[in-house]
Amino acid sequence: MARPSKLTPEQLYRTCNPQEFSFNTTADLDGPVTATGQERAFEAISFSMGIKHDGFNLFALGPNGTGKQTAIMHFLGNSAPQSPVPSDWCYVNNFEKPRHPKALRLPAGKACSLSRAMEQLVEALFTVIPSAFSSEEYQAQEKNIREEFQEQQADEIGELEKRAAKEHIALIKTPSGFAFAPEKDGEVVKPEEFMLLKKKERDSIEKKIIDLKTAMQSIMAQIPKWQRETQEKIKKLNSNIASFAVKPLIAELRTEYTAIEEVSRYLEILEADIIENFDQFLEKESDQRELPPGMSPGKFLQKGASFNRYRINVIVDNSATRGAPVVYEDKPACQNLVGDIEHIAQMGTLVTDFTLIKPGALHRANGGYLLIDARRLLAEPLAYEALKKALRTRQIRIESLAQLYSLVSTVSLEPEPIPLDIKVILLGERNLYYILSLHDPDFSELFKVAADFEDELPGDLEGKLAYAHIISSIVYKDNLHHFDRAAVARIVEHGSRISEDSTKLSAHIQSISDLVHEADYYATAATREIVQADDVQHAIDAKLFRSSRIREKIREATLRNSILIDTDSEKIGQINALAIYSPGGQSFGHPGRITARVRLGKGEVIDIEREVEMGGPIHSKGVMILSGFLGARFATDQPLSLSASLVFEQSYSGIDGDSASSAELYALLSAISGVPIRQCFAVTGSVNQFGQVQAIGGVNEKIEGFFDLCKARGLTGNHGVLIPASNVENLMLRNDVVTAVQEGLFAIFPVSDVDEGIEILTGIPAGELDKTGLYHTGSINAMAVARLKEMAEKIKKFTSSSDDDNQ
Amino acid sequence: MPERHKSKLIRHIAVALDCSPHSRASLGAAAELARLLNAELTGIFVEDINVLRMADLPCCHEIRMYTSESEKFDASNLERSLKVQAKTAEESLQRIAEDLMIKQSFRVLRGIVPEEVIAAAGEADLLVLGRSGRSPTCRKGLGSTARKALEKGKRPVLFIRPGFSAKEWPVLVLYDGSEGSQEALGIALNIINPGIRLNVLILGETHEESAELERALSEIIALPGSAVEYHHLPLTSGKTLMRFIRMVDSGLLVLSDRMKISREEVHELINEIDYPVLLV
Repeated sequence: MARPSKLTPEQLYRTCNPQEFSFNTTADLDGPVTATGQERAFEAISFSMGIKHDGFNLFALGPNGTGKQTAIMHFLGNSAPQSPVPSDWCYVNNFEKPRHPKALRLPAGKACSLSRAMEQLVEALFTVIPSAFSSEEYQAQEKNIREEFQEQQADEIGELEKRAAKEHIALIKTPSGFAFAPEKDGEVVKPEEFMLLKKKERDSIEKKIIDLKTAMQSIMAQIPKWQRETQEKIKKLNSNIASFAVKPLIAELRTEYTAIEEVSRYLEILEADIIENFDQFLEKESDQRELPPGMSPGKFLQKGASFNRYRINVIVDNSATRGAPVVYEDKPACQNLVGDIEHIAQMGTLVTDFTLIKPGALHRANGGYLLIDARRLLAEPLAYEALKKALRTRQIRIESLAQLYSLVSTVSLEPEPIPLDIKVILLGERNLYYILSLHDPDFSELFKVAADFEDELPGDLEGKLAYAHIISSIVYKDNLHHFDRAAVARIVEHGSRISEDSTKLSAHIQSISDLVHEADYYATAATREIVQADDVQHAIDAKLFRSSRIREKIREATLRNSILIDTDSEKIGQINALAIYSPGGQSFGHPGRITARVRLGKGEVIDIEREVEMGGPIHSKGVMILSGFLGARFATDQPLSLSASLVFEQSYSGIDGDSASSAELYALLSAISGVPIRQCFAVTGSVNQFGQVQAIGGVNEKIEGFFDLCKARGLTGNHGVLIPASNVENLMLRNDVVTAVQEGLFAIFPVSDVDEGIEILTGIPAGELDKTGLYHTGSINAMAVARLKEMAEKIKKFTSSSDDDNQ
Repeated sequence: MPERHKSKLIRHIAVALDCSPHSRASLGAAAELARLLNAELTGIFVEDINVLRMADLPCCHEIRMYTSESEKFDASNLERSLKVQAKTAEESLQRIAEDLMIKQSFRVLRGIVPEEVIAAAGEADLLVLGRSGRSPTCRKGLGSTARKALEKGKRPVLFIRPGFSAKEWPVLVLYDGSEGSQEALGIALNIINPGIRLNVLILGETHEESAELERALSEIIALPGSAVEYHHLPLTSGKTLMRFIRMVDSGLLVLSDRMKISREEVHELINEIDYPVLLV
């Protein structure tokens, strides 16, 4: 088998040539940001926005920071203004059932004007009604009615009084009523004089008094009736006067809104209510106690809370909206979505009315688009359920949460639901989408379209230009220094590095944005007007340095030989593997020592990590796979009479992943064959049962981890790393590594098969089977076969001798 | 001429109190005048002897106001009720006197109400009383006490009705050059609040006489800060006068019953008019 050659410096890093760009600095780029490489997602968005049926809401999935929201906003920015402007909505008092406020739909922009008109109407009523009621005509009529009653009463009593006077009997007012008494010369007869009268006279007087008393009582019995009649007459008069004053004002309003049937109907009811309750417009001052504390008293409140009943609570005002509204709800709490009914404390109790109905994002976005972050939505109690309910029932029903869960017990409202016509766009990570589709049957009903955003952009010129435009837009948006094309090229290279693919660019806009800001900071510090590639490099290095404490600690321990890593000698059954550490999102690589020992046994490979439950399932799988490879290669003709143990030395926190399985296999091969492995190499790559080396993640960090250690100890030109050949495309190595390779101080070998790898590691060919079915003498495989044969025989001998002993 | 009468100061005001709306208005007006003139105020409450007598008459029953049930009088109950009324009247007098910082006294008398009131008022310079009191018929004209005071009582006397505030009322004086009208004008000038409009209705027999009367008056009346407005009306019947007074719509009407129009006509006018009247 041919030994693979070292990778050339060009293969280690794909440079982005600034000359590819036609612009000098990002200041030359002011066109719109065109997102490239997201055609699949855009197709889904366009489909979802275009289809008018229920349930075709959108879930935009992709990692955070990939610009999903920006892309959707951009898309909607083009399409939404073409759509019709949705209606305005407002809540008005339901005069028949105040607990159920009515929803009024008005053409866009009309709600506020109706509200203003209503305020003006109430203002006008405060002038018109009092002046109608203070007019002389009204005063005279009212006085007439009241005097009619007084006269009626006075006449009746006066008649009686006259009748009594004829009989010499006086009607006299007492502290608590009336009384009749015999009089003489304008005075009541003195009791002693009365007693002097004859009995007959006295009886006669008494009889007269009784008659008069009865007559008086019958008059008094009629007084309440007269009062009632008077009251009725006054009420009718008032109603006539109020109606005369109010009707022209409302008629004026009605002609303006005659086309809107609902408003016409409302105005009709309103008119009747104002006429019935005209007296509230006569009160000069409102009761200040009714003012809710902390609320800015509007015109109506200044006139007293009772005028709230004539207010128009504008829930949705689309007067300034162009096309369909696009709303992003940052805090999708239940009440922020479907709206809320607020309460105010008044004299120790909580009260509410329709003016305290607060709209939610669904109201604002009704007729358009609502964007919500899925994670935040799910984190808000009951919000997801409320959203689903609104979408399912196609209406927004405002329910007070506290009321719903009996947290407060107070008067609340049940506003009339508002019909809902909306496209909801949820933005979230892929995981959330998969979990929701798996566990929530409603979800797939309501969010039928998924826009799956790519993590990467193509690394071609188009993608690079897209990067340049993104940088330019960030610079313009945040007022930063412009970037020259070399700096842009450096960011493009970094984007490639983040994506771990030299042919792609990361779509993680957030990281790019951070880097742009950081580079701008260093350019500003260096008083440069234009950000240069050095500033970008400075930002990258500084970020790495800021997060390098743990990495430095581990390297220091290694250099002091607290962690034993050999980079010079040759050892049997010992190899340098490469591990990735990811504390706090910043990952780095570092070598770790794997050792393998063999002894007589029954063919098992003991994974010590697994035995002590420090190895993850993927790691265990890797070890079992390599056992499979060993068995297939060496135990087809004889039993595998060994027992091998594998361990990651000095690992105290558990490991997972199969990227060390090739290294483990090399260590085992070395242990079995007795051929030492050169410790100047480190190895990464997983292996399958046929011995093929397969791709792994984090290849750049792993190489750099080993390089850093070797560099610290002094590069000799022997040091190198074996990586899977399929990982070559992922290489975007640091500049110093590339330089070392260029100078021949460091080497990277692409390996596609374990036989290639073992040859590099030991300097001895692996050996292929010849026609006789034997490996070439002197090859690793031949030595391994010989060793295994020897072990098998030892076991056989041992077993037979022990059998003999038993007999 | 009018300033001659300015010296006739009102130092003591009597007000008849009986807890009726008219009487409450009387108290308010009297107290306001007392404050203005720095006079002493005496409240007069008369326990009606007629009512007390009825209690001892076996044939008399009281018909309750709001139930129309009749009941035999209970003398002790009646006494107590009258005491309560007197107490209420006294308290309202004290309260208002305290508020306006005027000197007050209160007298409770027993007897025939109109006579006692007129007799008690003899010691005062001005009697203030309601146009009607606790009369059962709610009549429109003057009540029995007011009528008596009009006919037999001393002058000046002020008849009050509710709905007018003594503080703000504009004053209308009837002036025809007679001595009575000069006195009326003198008192009006005495009791008018600063800044309040004074209306003078000049009743001349001829146009020239009216003009002459106005000229003479305008020379002597000098009211700083208050406007005087002259109106002219040929000497005429009480009915026309009443219509004119209503038209001017002034608050307090000041007049004398010793003018060129007859005493009866003046009394008839007072009986019919809806405004407070100060009879000089």
